[in-house]
Amino acid sequence: MGYDSAQEARVRGKRQKRGMQNIFVMIILGLCFISMALLQVWLRLQAVHLGYVLSTTTKLQKQLKQENRELRLELATLTSPELLERMARLRLGLRVPEKGQVVVVP
Amino acid sequence: MRRGLKAVRFRLGLTSAIFLMMFLAVGLRAFQLQILQGEKLMRLGERQHLQEWIILPRRGSMLDRSGEPLAISLEAQSVYVRPQRLKKPEVVAPRLARALDMSLSQVRRSLNRKKPFVWLKRQVTPREAKGVRALRLSGVGMYYEPKRYYPQGRLAGQVIGFVGSDSQGLEGVERYYDTYFRGESGSSVIERDGLGRMVMAQGVGELDIPPGANIHMTLDITIQHLVEKQLETAIIKSRAKAGVALMVEPFTGEVLALANYPFFNPNRFARLPSHRWRNRAVTDSYEPGSTFKAILAAAALEEGIVGKEDIFYCEYGRYAFGGKVIHDTKRHGWLPFSKIIEYSSNIGAVKVAEKMKKEKYFQYIQKFGFGQTTGIDLPGEANGLVRRPSRWSRMDLAAHAFGQGIGVTPIQLVMAYAAIANGGILMRPYVVQRVVGPRGEVLLTNQPRIVRRVISEKTARVLTSILKKVVREGGTGVKAGVEGFQVAGKTGTAQKADLIYGGYAPEKKVVSFIGFVPADDPRLVLLVLLDEPQDKAYGGLAAAPVFRKIARGTLRHLRAMPENPEPPPGIAAGDLIRVKPKNGKRLKRAEGVSGVPDFLGLSMREAITKARDMKLQVEIQGNGYVVRQSPTPGSNWGKRGTLALTLQG
Repeated sequence: MGYDSAQEARVRGKRQKRGMQNIFVMIILGLCFISMALLQVWLRLQAVHLGYVLSTTTKLQKQLKQENRELRLELATLTSPELLERMARLRLGLRVPEKGQVVVVP
Repeated sequence: MRRGLKAVRFRLGLTSAIFLMMFLAVGLRAFQLQILQGEKLMRLGERQHLQEWIILPRRGSMLDRSGEPLAISLEAQSVYVRPQRLKKPEVVAPRLARALDMSLSQVRRSLNRKKPFVWLKRQVTPREAKGVRALRLSGVGMYYEPKRYYPQGRLAGQVIGFVGSDSQGLEGVERYYDTYFRGESGSSVIERDGLGRMVMAQGVGELDIPPGANIHMTLDITIQHLVEKQLETAIIKSRAKAGVALMVEPFTGEVLALANYPFFNPNRFARLPSHRWRNRAVTDSYEPGSTFKAILAAAALEEGIVGKEDIFYCEYGRYAFGGKVIHDTKRHGWLPFSKIIEYSSNIGAVKVAEKMKKEKYFQYIQKFGFGQTTGIDLPGEANGLVRRPSRWSRMDLAAHAFGQGIGVTPIQLVMAYAAIANGGILMRPYVVQRVVGPRGEVLLTNQPRIVRRVISEKTARVLTSILKKVVREGGTGVKAGVEGFQVAGKTGTAQKADLIYGGYAPEKKVVSFIGFVPADDPRLVLLVLLDEPQDKAYGGLAAAPVFRKIARGTLRHLRAMPENPEPPPGIAAGDLIRVKPKNGKRLKRAEGVSGVPDFLGLSMREAITKARDMKLQVEIQGNGYVVRQSPTPGSNWGKRGTLALTLQG
């Protein structure tokens, strides 16, 4: 009788231990699952955040390109031969060199 | 104890069943949403947060030969309205009209249209766009679309052309090279958040759409400006109706400048009538008059029908021929062939043409490229009007001899003269050098292309020597002479057809000068043409001075070395001049100078400078370069003590 109860207690202890192990595994798996879910959410948030950054940067790039083209246009307009000649004549009092005033050096 | 255990098991079982059913319900719902209604719901969701972003094609730029922009595309905003969504259009209309600088009736008309989408004003200015945005109206929106700008204004307007409101090339180079200019269009799907902001998580690569190709022209804006300025001045001065100036590089066929007066600003093309858009140097033909005598001369010389010094009787200015009377502006008796061209005698030209069969003459007219397009890369090129010799009357042969009764385009005539200038080869003209793609790759290069040999080099040389005389003292084109350079060319004063009464209108003339310079190593061929000048209506008086001014400025710009350097100011060509040393003392020779120094080959300017530096007394005769000196280099100074230099051009 004494032997039986001792054996039974050992078996129960083993069972409890196994049960505890199972619970532990379940908890680990649950934590892994939650971590994965959180990681997924974090990645999604990061993607959205980068999406915002990207769209802002793209907009800025587009804006700067447009500005660059506008400045090139302005430069071309301001350096057009007609305008330059008018400025040279009216503002600076320049004139076309007379005959003999230009010597072409070989 | 056992009963308690049973109850626990029952509760556990019940809870499990409830959970199972709940999971089952969730699973079924998920099945319903994802599988059964999945597609429909996905579409609904996408409609809410995904938006298609359309990227419009961006047109490439147009640049001159040195890279100066002639046409650039920028993004402009266009204002649209959705009339059905607009509240109180009567109240909104005046505010929109004010912001967009439009008439009230025009705005009302747009707002009252029964369409879901109406353009209110396309490609508005940044100030107008700001004004509309400030109104904050529902049903009124903005749309970005490209707009073409031409920073040089009216410069080469008819060559450049213009584009329509949908960026399609409509005229000029814009039209001819439209397929290269046009960029690709594209689209990408962009996510939008609840506030309507873009979240660019996908489709970034699709947004990188390359623009259209850049086109590099052969035109030089400095030369183009010079040409337009001088042409305009001459037209205003002579009160002409219109004018054309066209400059080509004779060895390659590159068009350096092409001007049509009245000018045309492509930035405001819609405000001008369509005839102002036309590039008449390419699309219109005219009767060239005496400038065509060079073609007759080329044919006659090449065929050996006449020699340079063969003489012809010019009937003292009046010659009855084919039932009509042909006149010369000056009366001449016997003239050598070269003088017929030099004095531009119509009667002499007719007599030369008579010696040549009409089939032969027609053959050369064709060989020089008349009656067919030159193949220039511009739209709408005309063939000109050259009839077959079977349809020529006797009078037609005579008229064609002095450039009447035949229609040529300015570009055809310039290319024919370019053939004479370059030694007899007809080239294809072109206005675009190369087309460069958005990543710098060359998509097209226009190389000089030979059409055919028209005359031999020898004939071209002889004809050039004749055409040089036209610009010398006594010739009709003396006013086209450029200091320091030899010019070869021909004047033209053609009558215009009277479209109402038939025949020729006595008062309407087309005057022109065409030539190349430097004559023996030409850098440019230039035609100046004035239509119906009221004052000085002769090619030699109205057009030749314009040629001189343009050629002088262009040669300076091209840094061409003068063949005959100009004498210093105050010294007339051919004068005998005495050069004294700078310190005023008359020295036979500088100390330390043993023998007579060598002056041979120096220009006048160099010789004077050297003589002054060596304190020598020199006498200079002639113009150009030192060809003879006395005493000779290295010999002893004689009794005379002065150095005599003879210069020749």
